[in-house]
Amino acid sequence: MRENTLNRLVKVGTAVLAGSVIGLGGMSAAVANDKLVELQKDEANWVMQGKNYSANHYSTSKQINKKNVKDLSAAWTFSTGLLNGHEGAPLVVGDMMYIHTPFPNNTFAVNLNDPGKIVWEHKPKQDPAARAVACCDVVNRGLAYWPGDSKTPAMIVKSQLDGHVVALNAETGEVHWKVENGDISVGQTQTQAPFVAKDLVIQGSSGAELGVRGYVTAFDIHTGEMAWRWYATGPDSEIGLKDSFNNANPHYGQKNLGTQTWEDDAWKIGGGTNWGWYAYDPDLEMFYYGSGNPAPWNETMRPGDNKWTMTIWGRDINTGLAEFGYQKTPHDEWDYAGVNVMMLSEQKDKNGKMRKLLTHPDRNGIIYTLDRETGDLVSADKMDDTANWVKKVDLETGLPIRDPEFSTRMGHRSRDICPSAMGFHNQGMDSYDPERQLFYLGLNHLCMDWEPFMLPYRAGQFFVGANVWSYPGPKGDRQNGIGSGQVKAYNAITGEFAWEKMEKFSVWGGTMATAGGLVFYGTLDGFIKARDADTGELLWKFKLPSGAIGHPMTYTHKGTQYVAINYGVGGWPAVGLVFDLNDPSAGLGAVGAFKELARNTQMGGGVMVFSLDGKSPYNDLSIGEYEM
Amino acid sequence: MQKLKTLALTSATALLFTLGAPAIAYDGTNCKSDGNCWEAKPGFPEKIKGSKFDPKHSEAELNKQDTAMEAMEKRNAERAKNFKETGKWSY
Repeated sequence: MRENTLNRLVKVGTAVLAGSVIGLGGMSAAVANDKLVELQKDEANWVMQGKNYSANHYSTSKQINKKNVKDLSAAWTFSTGLLNGHEGAPLVVGDMMYIHTPFPNNTFAVNLNDPGKIVWEHKPKQDPAARAVACCDVVNRGLAYWPGDSKTPAMIVKSQLDGHVVALNAETGEVHWKVENGDISVGQTQTQAPFVAKDLVIQGSSGAELGVRGYVTAFDIHTGEMAWRWYATGPDSEIGLKDSFNNANPHYGQKNLGTQTWEDDAWKIGGGTNWGWYAYDPDLEMFYYGSGNPAPWNETMRPGDNKWTMTIWGRDINTGLAEFGYQKTPHDEWDYAGVNVMMLSEQKDKNGKMRKLLTHPDRNGIIYTLDRETGDLVSADKMDDTANWVKKVDLETGLPIRDPEFSTRMGHRSRDICPSAMGFHNQGMDSYDPERQLFYLGLNHLCMDWEPFMLPYRAGQFFVGANVWSYPGPKGDRQNGIGSGQVKAYNAITGEFAWEKMEKFSVWGGTMATAGGLVFYGTLDGFIKARDADTGELLWKFKLPSGAIGHPMTYTHKGTQYVAINYGVGGWPAVGLVFDLNDPSAGLGAVGAFKELARNTQMGGGVMVFSLDGKSPYNDLSIGEYEM
Repeated sequence: MQKLKTLALTSATALLFTLGAPAIAYDGTNCKSDGNCWEAKPGFPEKIKGSKFDPKHSEAELNKQDTAMEAMEKRNAERAKNFKETGKWSY
């Protein structure tokens, strides 16, 4: 291991050197991600899950707007042929839409000029045992796209539940390479979408509920070679810290904390997996993500701050080394897995200084805004005032001031903790409107009771150690199992909400904003909705075949703006429905909270595409017809 | 007597404050060093080894992930090497 790390460091050093030599030679490396930046700006495309490197899910398209959104109708649909939760969203590049599915993670390419035609499909063969080590349904958050260069054609990159990352020729669907990035026999799976920046594919990890120590890995798109791999816990040489790590904020902690904040070797099964989302700043060449919860859920079995789980990372894309790390939830006691979306913006702070920012609505109920160059904490506001584990986050010390009444510990059943383990915010990918300077947050309103228990660690088995009962929060209707969702428009500098709306169920799938003054999102009870970006007024909705846990996306094809969304309920909130469970504490406490869901939706799986008046390629009746 | 009690209480409180006021319960704000602010909750030990909360982890189990990762890295490296040599990916 040590030798491996050393080798890696030498390699990294060489790469850095080579990079600077090229730079000195004046040959600004015409890297493929420049092409990806260009493609992102064109509203014909939706080339990554976050739409662009800022991950703002914001489209400048306004053909569909406040005035005419009532005319939005289904244009065409596609069934994936699978059930279970359909997270993420399709990608669109030029004439092609790329669709992914939950396990066994099939991929379909359809031609937008004749979407009834499947251009290619990729159906992996996977060990069905992979299903047994997925904590929270066999979901997958989507595909990534790399635009190609003179050496290598364009690629669609996917992750598989069984731990593989696969690069497929975007034109033909043929496998370019397939690497192992997780071993189900030790509880590792993959649900996260790969992320492409420069010529690298970044892939995270899953399995903190099985004691998996989190890791993030980069692979060379051309060759499948591993460029770097760094961990969330353990020695600094394995976490990957720059010499200057946290120099701008030494009070966040700096060296040796990946072991010192644990007792003995508990960090080896310490969680911190990252299965959420990334953002990237091409100017700083830094990428951002959050590491997940420590293992096990039983806090008494792991004294210490448990660094660097629950951490917002700013890392150098070339080496993967961390410039800053801010731990949001030291010594987690609630499974507030810190993996949620990172949205980048440029705004003036309270002193009038223009800042490059990242904004991040966490599971723990706090929306964090940091300077994305230095890691400076700019704001940390409760997304709902009912969050009670923390009194407030002290911006000076960066520490959350805990309320001991809502802590968890052995020999005690804690009650009415807010948020629940499911968070006030989960994996949904939200949006930011740079004109209005508002973040549109799809929120959960869920609280819980929690009681830990002792358990041993056995590689490949669950390592949770807590019984949990989740339920709608104080502003919902706990008795009737509804009122567990909210949608809010948030300003990260003032900390104010422009508007707040309750939803019947948790808004799990994220939001999308457009210059048409609209905020789109799907709901667990099976609607896609559009609200007024300024007032939150509900302007349109359509009943999908099943609940939505992915985000809407939009693209313009041949002059027509389309809005598309996956349907197919599942993920953590719907495990009761999906796996036919009744005990309210089953499904890691989700079953009780969502017992009403089955009266509103059943499983499904597909994509629905909308346009004004349902305009579609099939308005020309001859398209796709059999011809002699 | 009452006066004595009051005096004792007052000095105890004063002592608490001069010692840097250890919190009544863990609230996350009393740090041993930067980035290291964990405290045991009232009634819980500083170290769990040897206590009734000792996880008694097996070292062999703890190391299984690392072994699996190294094996995958090795197999991947061989695949990538072969790919560079032959131009064809063989899993």
